[in-house]
Amino acid sequence: MGQVARKKAVSDGGHGGDIDLKPFINFLVVLIPVLMLSAEFAKISIIDMKLPEGRGSTVKKAQTDRPMEEDDKLLLTMIITDSVVTIGAKNGFMPTLFYKEYQKYVSKENRKDEVTVEMDPKNPDKPVMNPKTGKPFSSNERQEIMIYVTDENHNVINCLYTKDRKMLSDAIGNPVQSVKSGDTVYAVSNPRRMIIVNNPADFALSPLSAYDEMKNRLMKIKERYKDASDADDIILVAENQVIYDKIVQLMDIAREADFPKISIAKFRS
Amino acid sequence: MARGRNKFSTAKSTGLIITSLIDFFSVVVIYLMKSYSAEGSILTNADNLVLPNSMSKLKPKDIHVQVAATSDMVLVDNIPIVPTEDIKKIPQEEDDPVVLKLQDKLKACYAQEEEMVRLGALNKVEGNITIQVDKNVPFDVLFKIMNTCGKVGYNNMNFAVMEREE
Repeated sequence: MGQVARKKAVSDGGHGGDIDLKPFINFLVVLIPVLMLSAEFAKISIIDMKLPEGRGSTVKKAQTDRPMEEDDKLLLTMIITDSVVTIGAKNGFMPTLFYKEYQKYVSKENRKDEVTVEMDPKNPDKPVMNPKTGKPFSSNERQEIMIYVTDENHNVINCLYTKDRKMLSDAIGNPVQSVKSGDTVYAVSNPRRMIIVNNPADFALSPLSAYDEMKNRLMKIKERYKDASDADDIILVAENQVIYDKIVQLMDIAREADFPKISIAKFRS
Repeated sequence: MARGRNKFSTAKSTGLIITSLIDFFSVVVIYLMKSYSAEGSILTNADNLVLPNSMSKLKPKDIHVQVAATSDMVLVDNIPIVPTEDIKKIPQEEDDPVVLKLQDKLKACYAQEEEMVRLGALNKVEGNITIQVDKNVPFDVLFKIMNTCGKVGYNNMNFAVMEREE
């Protein structure tokens, strides 16, 4: 009789409860709340920064006590103002990058109300209007700040980007505007990734982000001056009205380009 | 007898389909395991404060004094100290800008830590401070806060940022 029952269970597709799933489901029902309690959805991390012991303001120090006689020092400095980013070192400055700033606002009441505006550096506090309600956006509703490289005439420069949003550069590190199949280009990540173009349609032309171009330049500097005694150091100089978000992004690209020791200084006019 | 059997077989075919439920649970369990953290979150986000995104993966380790700068108030350990507008009013040309109210409060915190060292609860005053700054705050305010912290003796600053999803 027992044999018959077993045969039957097998023949109707295992429906006859050969595995009892009830304890497994009980287990999952317990496990899910436990995991949910200890899950971390918004991950907060930190950027570590040290001031020298016993000194409040390091800023003046970095600006005035510049040890000019030490030859192997690079003294790399990244400067950001309201319309320009540039890199300076002991021997001079690299060509200035002009940028145009676009800000994306998303309304808190209705997430669909979003608008991207160009920021006017001469009038940074000009309120941005919500096109639907006609009321100005608060600064809390500013979601994203994008800065794009322009030429001297304030025309945005385009560059090819890969599908995972990496900027393309040529062998000497200039941004690439067009490719043919068979070309060799480099995706700007650390280290640069060589790509041999099979299909030019794999890359899309979009405005060149100033952050990407700065990363590109910093990586070039790192390659060239890796023997300098302060090859890990970079000083980030910002103007008073520069928004904190941009400073964090620049600190990020400095770290990505392998300059982990970042100091912050103030732009003195 | 025949009727009873009939009942049994219909109950069977309309029974709970458990396979898909288990599939769903498995996916949820895997997702939650991915975002699992053993130590929990030490830092909590102050209200009305949007942290900037960053690639930094450094995790906060200990609890320090927390300074939070939102767009309208500066708080120390969640107690409002001084409006951000007042900080903006300090002249920018000043060589050594200090936010007095913040300095007083931080000095009290520092004295507390020194007291702890005297009592033997801490080895030395390490001068660690966690600074949470809203991403829309201008550099000027940040600089004045940093300068004040440095003056009091908090030299080891940790800026809280939101970890970016890859």
